[in-house]
Amino acid sequence: MMNIFLAELADPNVSIPLVLPEMLLALTGILVMIYDSIRPGRRRVTGTISMVGLILSAVALFWIWSTPGQQLSAFGGMIVADSLRMSFTAVFLLVSALTILVSTVWVEREDVHAGEYHTLLLFATVGMMFMASGNDLVIIFLGLETLSIATYVMAGLRRRDLRSNESALKYFILGSYASGFLLYGMALVYGATGTTNVTQIALNTETAQFPALLLVGAAMLVIGFGFKVATVPFHIWTPDVYEGAPSPVTGFMAAGPKAAGFASFLRVFVLGFPLVVGVQASEFLHDSWITALTVMAILTMTVGNIAAIVQNNVKRMLAYSSIAHAGYAMVGFVGAGVAKTATGRDDAIAAVAFYMLTYAVTNLGAFAIVTLVARKNDRRTEFEDYNGIGFRSPVLAFSLSLFMLSLLGLPLTAGFIGKVLVFRPALEAGTSLMVILVVIAVINTAISAYYYLRLIVVMFFRERTEEWSQPKISTALAAVLAITIIGVFYFGIFGNNVIEMFSKYPVDVQMR
Amino acid sequence: MEPALGSYLALSGILFSIGAVGVIYKRNAIGMFMCIELMLNSVNLSFVAFSRHYGDVTGQLFVFVVMSVAAAEAAVGLGIIITFFRNRLSVDVDDASILKN
Repeated sequence: MMNIFLAELADPNVSIPLVLPEMLLALTGILVMIYDSIRPGRRRVTGTISMVGLILSAVALFWIWSTPGQQLSAFGGMIVADSLRMSFTAVFLLVSALTILVSTVWVEREDVHAGEYHTLLLFATVGMMFMASGNDLVIIFLGLETLSIATYVMAGLRRRDLRSNESALKYFILGSYASGFLLYGMALVYGATGTTNVTQIALNTETAQFPALLLVGAAMLVIGFGFKVATVPFHIWTPDVYEGAPSPVTGFMAAGPKAAGFASFLRVFVLGFPLVVGVQASEFLHDSWITALTVMAILTMTVGNIAAIVQNNVKRMLAYSSIAHAGYAMVGFVGAGVAKTATGRDDAIAAVAFYMLTYAVTNLGAFAIVTLVARKNDRRTEFEDYNGIGFRSPVLAFSLSLFMLSLLGLPLTAGFIGKVLVFRPALEAGTSLMVILVVIAVINTAISAYYYLRLIVVMFFRERTEEWSQPKISTALAAVLAITIIGVFYFGIFGNNVIEMFSKYPVDVQMR
Repeated sequence: MEPALGSYLALSGILFSIGAVGVIYKRNAIGMFMCIELMLNSVNLSFVAFSRHYGDVTGQLFVFVVMSVAAAEAAVGLGIIITFFRNRLSVDVDDASILKN
């Protein structure tokens, strides 16, 4: 045993290019932190440095993506460069960049200490990227905690606001509680298979010394990841945390960490616990998690949508809508799990990544407007505050309506293609359970029309009783709206281009 | 003779359960946080036990990662609890009820 370890030390298989995107972003984060301590309070500068870092990181990512003959796994198989990692990382970088732009409004209005905020955002993004690129439970845990610890602070950034305090406290307590379960799950999976490498876990299932531990471990992992992606019954924290956190941070939390959670959730379950026909332990495990996640997907969609209907606060409504969307994404997830061929599985994974991309773009656009309408201290976030603004601020109202229609999944918008793509793999599997799942998903889409359209009705057909002063749309915010609106249409009409890009490298490269 | 793997796992499971139940029953944010630490450390025990069982260092490596993460989490968590205390003069989680459920 010791000799093997020494051999690994001698050849650790280091590959800097493979982690270049993460490294660049982490260095930018450190740079912003140092700059902020030397020259505090320069929001524009720290924001610009962060944006430059994100762009450099994106360039590095596309360089790995487009250079043929790249090494596909390094650091003893801990880091991989498959399309799961690439596509999700692209989503994170986009989310982070849009969040910085959206926050400019809020940072100036509330006089937030922006250097800290930008640093935290960058480190959270690095954490998300490692969650997608890590092929080892250690890396996934480390990435998840880097992300979580940064987001706990971000939720509580408005230090004097009781709602923000409460949001941070709840997020912190429940988040670390879930991390505990996740970690225990990882320990049991390690105990059962003797390895923390996801690819190796899949291979070792057959020879697992303690198959029962593997099953319990997988259940614990479902709890931990289920919390991160906010699925029912682990969603209790979501509405409170989303409502209390500053609006741009809420937008970020709904788009980024959720996608990151799905990235590692997918990797560990679809690639780590695959179906190996003929191996009893593997068949049983696969069967159990598919059933569990199917039930969770059904509950998540239904509870999310029904609870969203009765909300009177727009942020809370969007929080429940984000729960429902996690449910739709899980349909694709289950589809990836039951896919019969490797191509089918990869397509389903690409579909989930694409779904998170469309959701991120739409959701961040919506939160940009929520941030703008909310005014100081996030006071105006009730439905009433949107009464009759339709023809007074047509730009805001029409873009928000577009985002709502995309969340609903109207054809020609991003949301529609996203939904079609995630529902397809489950339908292709053809078992009755999967068909029921998709039927429920479609019924849920119909239910969701009620509350998405309600916001549009409120904006255009209600009389406004209070006065309305037109909020000023800054350049950064105009850029966000332009990017998100173009994104909604581009992904809705030319979604195929993106999907092709997302499935360029087969997932799980080492195995075949 | 050293104890069998099973005893370590049992102890770890019991500690984890105490922590998990404690988080639900405690109303004091600091107490809840201590229970979470207990959960993390009980997992460490499992990791080390498995590591010994397989003669594989990965488990021990994981423990170091967990310890450093727990330290970072403690720093941030106590900071959050202190801000909450400053505004509320209480660390009782039942006071955290402005956001309606």
